[in-house]
Amino acid sequence: MTASIDPVTFAVLKSALESIVDDMAYTVMRTARSPIVRDVLDYSTTMCDAQGRILAQAKTVALHLGAVPDAVDSLMKHYGDDLHPGDVIIFNDPYDGGMHLPDIFMFKPIFSGDRHVGFSVVICHHCDMGGRVPGSNASDSTEIFQEGLRIPPLKLFSKGVRNDTLFAMIRTNVRLPALVVGDLEAQLATCALGERELLRLVDKYGADMLEEFLEEFLDYGERLTRKAFAEWPDGDYTFTDYIDGDGFDETPIPIKVTITVKGDHLTVDFTGSAPQVRGAINSTLSFVKSATYLGIRCVLDNDVPNNAGIYRCIDVSAPKGTLLNPEFPAPVAARALTGYRVADTVLGALAGIVPGRVAAAGEGGNSVVCLGGYDKQTREPFILVDMINGALGGRATLDGVDGVTNPCQNMSNMPVEIMEATYPIRIEEYGLRPDSCGAGKQRGGLSVIRSYRLLADEAVMQLRTDRYQTRPYGLFGGAPGAPSLNLFAQSGAAEDFELLNSKVTREITRGALLRHEQAGGGGYGNPFDRTPEAVLEDVLDGKITVGFARKEFGVAVNGNSLDMVETEALRRAQVA
Amino acid sequence: MTKESLARIGVDIGGTFTDLVLTGTGGKLYHRKVSSTPPAPEQAVLAGVAAIMEDAEIDASSIGEIVHGTTVGSNTLLQKLGARTGLITTRGFRDVLEIGRLRTPDMFNLQWEKPEPLVRRRYRREVSERIAADGSILTKLDIDELLSVAQELVDEGLTSLAVCFLNSYRNPEHEVQAGAALEKAFPDLEITTSVSVLPEAKEYERTSTAVVNAYVRPALKSYLTRLEDGLRALGIDAPLMVCNSNGALASSATAREKPVFFISSGRAAGAAGGGRLGAALDTANLVVFDMGGTTASASLVADGQLSRVSEYEFRAGISTPSRFIKAGGYMMSVPAVDVAEVGSGAGSIAHVDEGGLMKVGPISAGAEPGPVCYGIGGDRPTVTDANLILGYLPQQLAGGSRTLDVARATEVIARDLAKPFGLSAEQAAWGVRAVVNANMARAIRAVTVERGVDPRDFDLVAIGGSGPVHAADIARLLSMKRILVPASPGVFTAMGMLAGDVERYFIAPFPGMLEDIDASAALARVEKLKTEAHAAVLAEGIPAEAIALSAEIDLRFRGQELSLSVALGDPVDAEAIRARYLDAYRTIYSYTPTDQVEMVSLRVTGRGERPGKLDFRLPRDPEAETPATTRRVYFGEEHGWHDTPCFSRFGAPATLQGPAILEGTDSTVVIPPDASCTRDPYLNILIEMDADA
Repeated sequence: MTASIDPVTFAVLKSALESIVDDMAYTVMRTARSPIVRDVLDYSTTMCDAQGRILAQAKTVALHLGAVPDAVDSLMKHYGDDLHPGDVIIFNDPYDGGMHLPDIFMFKPIFSGDRHVGFSVVICHHCDMGGRVPGSNASDSTEIFQEGLRIPPLKLFSKGVRNDTLFAMIRTNVRLPALVVGDLEAQLATCALGERELLRLVDKYGADMLEEFLEEFLDYGERLTRKAFAEWPDGDYTFTDYIDGDGFDETPIPIKVTITVKGDHLTVDFTGSAPQVRGAINSTLSFVKSATYLGIRCVLDNDVPNNAGIYRCIDVSAPKGTLLNPEFPAPVAARALTGYRVADTVLGALAGIVPGRVAAAGEGGNSVVCLGGYDKQTREPFILVDMINGALGGRATLDGVDGVTNPCQNMSNMPVEIMEATYPIRIEEYGLRPDSCGAGKQRGGLSVIRSYRLLADEAVMQLRTDRYQTRPYGLFGGAPGAPSLNLFAQSGAAEDFELLNSKVTREITRGALLRHEQAGGGGYGNPFDRTPEAVLEDVLDGKITVGFARKEFGVAVNGNSLDMVETEALRRAQVA
Repeated sequence: MTKESLARIGVDIGGTFTDLVLTGTGGKLYHRKVSSTPPAPEQAVLAGVAAIMEDAEIDASSIGEIVHGTTVGSNTLLQKLGARTGLITTRGFRDVLEIGRLRTPDMFNLQWEKPEPLVRRRYRREVSERIAADGSILTKLDIDELLSVAQELVDEGLTSLAVCFLNSYRNPEHEVQAGAALEKAFPDLEITTSVSVLPEAKEYERTSTAVVNAYVRPALKSYLTRLEDGLRALGIDAPLMVCNSNGALASSATAREKPVFFISSGRAAGAAGGGRLGAALDTANLVVFDMGGTTASASLVADGQLSRVSEYEFRAGISTPSRFIKAGGYMMSVPAVDVAEVGSGAGSIAHVDEGGLMKVGPISAGAEPGPVCYGIGGDRPTVTDANLILGYLPQQLAGGSRTLDVARATEVIARDLAKPFGLSAEQAAWGVRAVVNANMARAIRAVTVERGVDPRDFDLVAIGGSGPVHAADIARLLSMKRILVPASPGVFTAMGMLAGDVERYFIAPFPGMLEDIDASAALARVEKLKTEAHAAVLAEGIPAEAIALSAEIDLRFRGQELSLSVALGDPVDAEAIRARYLDAYRTIYSYTPTDQVEMVSLRVTGRGERPGKLDFRLPRDPEAETPATTRRVYFGEEHGWHDTPCFSRFGAPATLQGPAILEGTDSTVVIPPDASCTRDPYLNILIEMDADA
């Protein structure tokens, strides 16, 4: 501890800031309009100091967090000496502080008297930003200009005065203006709440104390991180994972990482990853950093605060002009997928350093199903943006988790009853996917199946899925998880199902049926070392079939019980 | 004897003690603590009832009513001791229960485990049937399939079944049919249909609620039967009332049928009691703060109304500092007192983490090994040890039953905390207290600031064994000005129950836009709900003239997920309703959109006043004044050490300037130097914090 701030005040401020960002997150949930924000919870809330350094972030989309520093750089470049009480700045431009167009950053500078003391920050995924495909999330755009409305850092409010021009521009360029403006209002309400609460703290402790707290908080995060890194064996650790394709070309796209541990510092280099691609899975370097920090954060102790103190101990680089550091005007709408795969790749390399702390690969990031169109009678637009999660891979001592959010975010699912009451869509199945787990001493988690039937006359169906060609990896002898499947029948009959690619944009009509089977979690450890009793339990629960048990685990199940003689024979044969 | 003159007994079962309070005969109040008997909780209740009747010198025929907060529901869930339960769903949806809402309570935690679903996948079965989002029937229920699936589950030895079909909230027909067919075919099976406990949208929440009900029902039924049999054996034939999660009372018959409404029975009672105390003292705005051994909780009474939630999660962990994250527990979408709970209590252990930060809790030394100062094996510093070193606690506990070891506590705090920070033991102890206070203040913030409510407009009610030891510091942290300590804070929960009313809730979906509201349809719907509510409250033994019914409408802005309830009013006037809604909305979020307002549902609450309920305004005589002893107490850097007079709780002067300490058998009350207190005629203590201190 430094002499300037006592341990008690430090702990009190830490709790107070955490509860402010949680209050903010709860406010978004309660006031937002679109299901993608209010049900699926694709948003994040953060409190920064006057320099834009993060004081605390709520338990929301973790992947947003690491992108805040670059967002602050853009904000400061435009308005560093032009920030006033009552200002609110928004932007979404990936080439000027943003990530992809649907994510609108909102910054509200907070003033105590004349003194600038911090920022409320709220990032929401908006359900539409215009562009060529409903939901503005297509994988197969070829330049940013197809993806929708780009907003550079602009003042939505200036000294308390509303910028009606900007509101009008947004309203006019999106398909669902009521929802987009409604969600912007939720962001505004949340920024105001953050402001009110931070000022209470400043009144009590003074703005200087807040600065001292932050310095100490960052040092604290750095200290814990360095302590952990110092215990890791020095060396280079490499791992490569793949994305199926970019929406045009189905050639697997490699992401390669080399993590160098040296003393209490890490260097993370993505040299060897694919060049920039034609489709929209390119990711800004800021987002790559975010995913890298996240992967590393996942193997640190729970107590380590997720703040920039960690980043001080890690250098991240990717060559310019690559998938992970694209040149303007590359499309980036589906970049979230790349973020998930960067995290998978980093965790794959970390498996060589801290094998007990990682999990085998999970489903590979949420699958996005967009169904959008217009009601033929009323011409009212509808856009379903559904995100499907997920499965966690097997771990050193625990099986993976069946049906769970990806650790990169903390998203929820849209209730079937809410979806059916809101959209011209019927869900015909939502359940766990048997046999989708990778076998292992600790098996991977089961992923989920979701089936959609279109009840409107027509719609554009856009799928951003993955792990169809390159399955989620297993670790230490564990098998990979099952690949994802997109089964589609315009006739609506399951016997007419055709297998689609993982990235699709196409027009469909009434009665069409889409069944997405998500990739399952990879296994951890040799499947033959799994106890036959654990295998039997999964068979009895219908989580795996008798055939899967036999083939993958070498376990023979007869009726409701184990055939131990046969099991031993199977396991001997497979070892030999 | 008239019903009013009969005695009433309130019983609250805790982990260590079962508290009883008896009131009625001549306004005199008795309380009693007996050791809890967790494997068969009714034994402690019955022993306590017999003992307290003896204390009061009354016989069984003088008992008019027993009011009970039970932890059987929560323990059944916590220890997974419920019935072997099955679930029947619409084809394609048997995994809704297990998938849940996907979120995890922690971020960055790859080692998280999902709680085991209460019904394993093998006991979740699907049948053919489908209702559309508008309530129309797409596929008829296949009764033959239903019965054959149920037969298989019965053959597996299952004793309780939940049934949840998709969109049944819009049209319950199939669930009603299924319930009737199953009851006829399997008379011994317990059946819970989802619409019978929660006729609302969102399949996971409804399924989970129905499953919890099915899971705990046999256990609660059997417990209540054993308890009632035992009471009868004592010669008591008075009705048994049970406190529900919402802090209201209902008959034991209701608790047997819908136990999911009674899971947080005990916890809610304390909060509700605090509210009733406030009502009796004409204090409309209260934060009820309850601090025990391992947890502390807070709940809010605003404008005389206890703050409530429409859903909550039960989980093994205790820490719910953030109301935002809901994950990892058993979801129940039932009305409950809005209690925020943190894992900080008197037994919480303080330590220094690897990064050099002082942490207190959530691990607790509990009753065993206990705080260091108890000398029964504890070797890690707790909040109680810190309080002892700082002089807040007497060296003799509870009338001399236990002597506390100050020297040992000081040694351990110096070793584990003071040395790493380079502080004195007293400074470190003060740090422990400050950190735990900050944690507990988070619980209060969760029910105030998070709702846009300013805690400074509220009085703090301090209950639980340790509540009054920390209340003044907590109040200071949140700039709250007044603290109310009831006469018996340690048994307050049991007392609170005796001041309870009966409440029953009825809800019906009423979708549409507010501007298009069909007033006559709304009123007709409300009339129907009122008829049901009236009959239900009547059935709880409330006379018709004591029943009050109120109607509310749940509203939200178009497209929002969560709704707010406002009074419906009669005649139904869309403009007036909208105005009430905007008002309520602005209060919470400090802005109002201009968008259309959407109706979600109508709800009716039926409330019945209990005859002879505990009146917190009965004047009670203080004891003769006893002289104070003095000990040194540390009140922080600003005030330092003070020679502080210590009085017996009921033998102190009626007004005091701090610093002072009041010691009772069930709790210690701390009055800091910058505060004063007065005792009211009911023996409550009101602490006033000095301004600008």
